[in-house]
Amino acid sequence: METEDKEDVKESFKILGILDVQKVPCARESILYGSLGSLVAGTGYFLATSRVKRSFDFGVGGFILTTLGYWFYCRYNYAKLRIQQRIIQEGMKNKIIYEGTQFDPVIKEKNNQSGN
Amino acid sequence: MANPMHLGLQDAMSPLMEELLYFHDHTLMIIFLISMFVLYTISVLLLTSLYHTNATDVQEMEMIWTILPALILITIALPSLRTLYLMDETTNPCLTIKVIGHQWYWTYEYTDFSQLEFDSYMLPTQDLPQGHFRLLEVDHRMIVPTSSSTRTLITAEDVLHSWAVPSLGIKMDAVPGRLNQTSLTSPNPGVFYGQCSEICGANHSFMPIVVEAVPMQHFQNWLKTNS
Repeated sequence: METEDKEDVKESFKILGILDVQKVPCARESILYGSLGSLVAGTGYFLATSRVKRSFDFGVGGFILTTLGYWFYCRYNYAKLRIQQRIIQEGMKNKIIYEGTQFDPVIKEKNNQSGN
Repeated sequence: MANPMHLGLQDAMSPLMEELLYFHDHTLMIIFLISMFVLYTISVLLLTSLYHTNATDVQEMEMIWTILPALILITIALPSLRTLYLMDETTNPCLTIKVIGHQWYWTYEYTDFSQLEFDSYMLPTQDLPQGHFRLLEVDHRMIVPTSSSTRTLITAEDVLHSWAVPSLGIKMDAVPGRLNQTSLTSPNPGVFYGQCSEICGANHSFMPIVVEAVPMQHFQNWLKTNS
């Protein structure tokens, strides 16, 4: 257990000491896809035009746009997932609290059916 | 809690702090990319040998550098406002605790069930048990139940103080003659540390706050023992 904790601490990588790429959801994927986008944009422009400096501009621009684009997309999906997780958690809590009581929806439904 | 050389926010131990961390990560990523863009632009401008001295008709660029920052600000403002209004949401608290700031200690009053009141002084370094945190430990911790919304009414007896617990996302000024209200919820048991956050005299740095969240049964036992 201690060695596992030490390995986790060693693997933590923080950009400028603040943004923990390992812990922050979507950060790692955004940086990776951004790097890939930068490489593709920069290399592609250079192969097409052989202009070195402008290729670097495209590379940086590609990195920024790809990182930001994937970041928004991933955070939006993550937010939807969190909402679903909260609904499920609330549902599980309510099930535990109300199971077997008069407020249990299963019992209520049975009572309604037997009443009908 | 904070580690040595800790730069970022502490880990979230309440739903509100989770939202704040979420917003912080979102804004930080945008800021990093803008800073990277500015740094790159400055380095290109410094290192280039080309220059154009007759740039008079650049309306397209002016439109871009007006509209783009506005869009960036909107993408930052919308989650910010959401978190801000989330912080002001009223809950149905099961417990009310009064927090009173003095020079230089805190008083906690639990008056809902029993007349329980105690002072919370910092443990001096020479009296600190082995392994405890210097300048953070107190003789009497504020005990709260887990997964229960707790209302805290914060005020001060003498000068301005501020009751802050970073891992719970709480900071509220303690103003003499005024009651400030905040809500506290911790889903998990644990010990959370904070420090006075408003300059209040010589020992401003030596009046820490310790909140201990325990399961409801333990909280009830503690109330019975101490009241």
